[in-house]
Amino acid sequence: MKLIWNEQIKLYAKKGTWVMFALLLVIAIGGGLITKFFGTESDFKEYGDNWQTELQEENAQLTAEMQDEEFGGFMNEMIIAENSYHLENNIKPQPYDGWEYVLENSFLTSVISLFTIIVAAGIISNEFKWGTIKLLLIRPISRTKILLSKYVSVLIFALTLLIFLLLSSWLVGAVLFGLNGLNPMVVQDMMTHYVHNDVLGEIAKSYGFSIVTLVMMATFAFMISAIFRSSGMAIGLAIFLMMAGNTIVAFLSQYEWSKFILFANTNLEQYTNGMEPTIPGMSLTFSIIVLLVYFAIFMGAAWAAFTKRDVAGN
Amino acid sequence: MSKPAMQLVNLKKTIGSKPIIKGLDFEIRAGEVFGFLGPNGAGKTTTIRMMVGLIDITEGDVLIEGKSIKTNFKGAIQHVGAIVENPEMYPFLSGWKNLKQYARMVEGVTDERIKEVVSLVGLEKAIHEKAGRYSLGMRQRLGIAQALLHGPSILILDEPTNGLDPSGIREIRKYIRNLAEKENVAVIVSSHLLTEIELMCDRIGVIKNGELIAIEEVRTVENEEALKEVYIEVEPMETAKTYLDTHLPNAVGVGSKELSMSVKREEIPQILKNLMEQGISIYGVRVLQATLEDKFFDLIGENSIE
Repeated sequence: MKLIWNEQIKLYAKKGTWVMFALLLVIAIGGGLITKFFGTESDFKEYGDNWQTELQEENAQLTAEMQDEEFGGFMNEMIIAENSYHLENNIKPQPYDGWEYVLENSFLTSVISLFTIIVAAGIISNEFKWGTIKLLLIRPISRTKILLSKYVSVLIFALTLLIFLLLSSWLVGAVLFGLNGLNPMVVQDMMTHYVHNDVLGEIAKSYGFSIVTLVMMATFAFMISAIFRSSGMAIGLAIFLMMAGNTIVAFLSQYEWSKFILFANTNLEQYTNGMEPTIPGMSLTFSIIVLLVYFAIFMGAAWAAFTKRDVAGN
Repeated sequence: MSKPAMQLVNLKKTIGSKPIIKGLDFEIRAGEVFGFLGPNGAGKTTTIRMMVGLIDITEGDVLIEGKSIKTNFKGAIQHVGAIVENPEMYPFLSGWKNLKQYARMVEGVTDERIKEVVSLVGLEKAIHEKAGRYSLGMRQRLGIAQALLHGPSILILDEPTNGLDPSGIREIRKYIRNLAEKENVAVIVSSHLLTEIELMCDRIGVIKNGELIAIEEVRTVENEEALKEVYIEVEPMETAKTYLDTHLPNAVGVGSKELSMSVKREEIPQILKNLMEQGISIYGVRVLQATLEDKFFDLIGENSIE
């Protein structure tokens, strides 16, 4: 649709947008370099055919180290535990590679959330700031369509950032660490236990779940932007809630109704890999319903504010 | 007269409990330039915003080519091109890209049409520069270009000569007259600048405190048979005074060097002839025109905002 095309042109004509992409790239490269040069030795270690004996020797050595030294025991314990997991389940450990780097970088989706919030917050309020909203709304196009085109535009932008992050992480990872095949298996530390999965599935899951938070926060910022017509307020509120969300939930978790708070439900990953939900009594279906209700409220409020209200003076 | 291009039917706007527009009823015909005149705060911009559907109409309706802006927004607005207040543009896009934005929002605006409009407003040279670097005059031109893109039958311009230099104002004025006369476009021009309105409009609606207090044909102002203020510079003063005291007792006032009087236009030659026959030298005659400005202030009274 031409309206969405219009929005994308406006978006990419601004320097700020390119700065966002540049920042992501810098972070991806920087993170890669840091992992490469300051990462733990054991991560990169390559094991031969008789890796079982190598691992056993390593464990014995580490145990000895622990008895000698009072400190640093925690690190050693972790490595021993991981090595034992490999031994028990007969999985040959693989050196750290590009795929794993992509997986690790899934935490950067919060940066994408941040950028998306900024864009979502600005996409309506900026039109008011520039005064161009008046020229936009006197075309033979309904306000609902204009609103929708802006929302879809935000989502496309978020998706573009996400793909950009995936590709740049993968490239950086591949160049710095190499790749262990097309879809290697990875062992992940889930705090209480270890899991072993194929990496592509894990990447999809980890990025996929982050999209939930991303979309919810973007929609929230979009709504604030439509209601208050001020990008500052929208950015501030959305970022504050994104940062403080988990704290708020933790703070209120003693109350029964806290499970209805948006942020208790955005992290759908809590239902996978055998983890415990934040607040007892929540289930995946429950969270999805809560999320949908919030989503509907956000969109409804944005729509009502945008289509019903007068566009008065500056 | 053909059917009106735009019709305001008992148009009202209330914000809170305060009536802003108190029932406007008038129409604008195709091919005329209609001046919408009023002091600041009279409700010009509010009315224009209602005409283009930017704000809700409390009561009444605006019909554009017979279509209601309330119930048939798309049908009505497609005939309208407008600048509301300042001609705002995306500062980070070039003039051309700004126009492209709006071109994409309606059917059938080709690149050729954009070029045509750009040359109409004389912006060819700067069209690929960023709009953020434009002067107010250039933005004004771009604003008009934007309003004309889809070939509207009604053009609404809010303070169109704002920020233009004198030659720019003349150009725009000529261009507006052209549009009305050659392309039969109905042009609505709002302004608080009387002289501007007087020079380019066919009819003027005067609005004050949300009410229409007069609609005038511009040409009627000059033809009126009203008394005019005439100043005559004479010598010797005494003789002239005596003469006038006897002949025109009602119409005479005396200044230091000038006689001033209120007479009808047709009486002026006879008075001058009589004075000269008395051997009085006449150095100058000034007639104060009852201009639109006087009329305007007569109508408006004090510029008070309720």
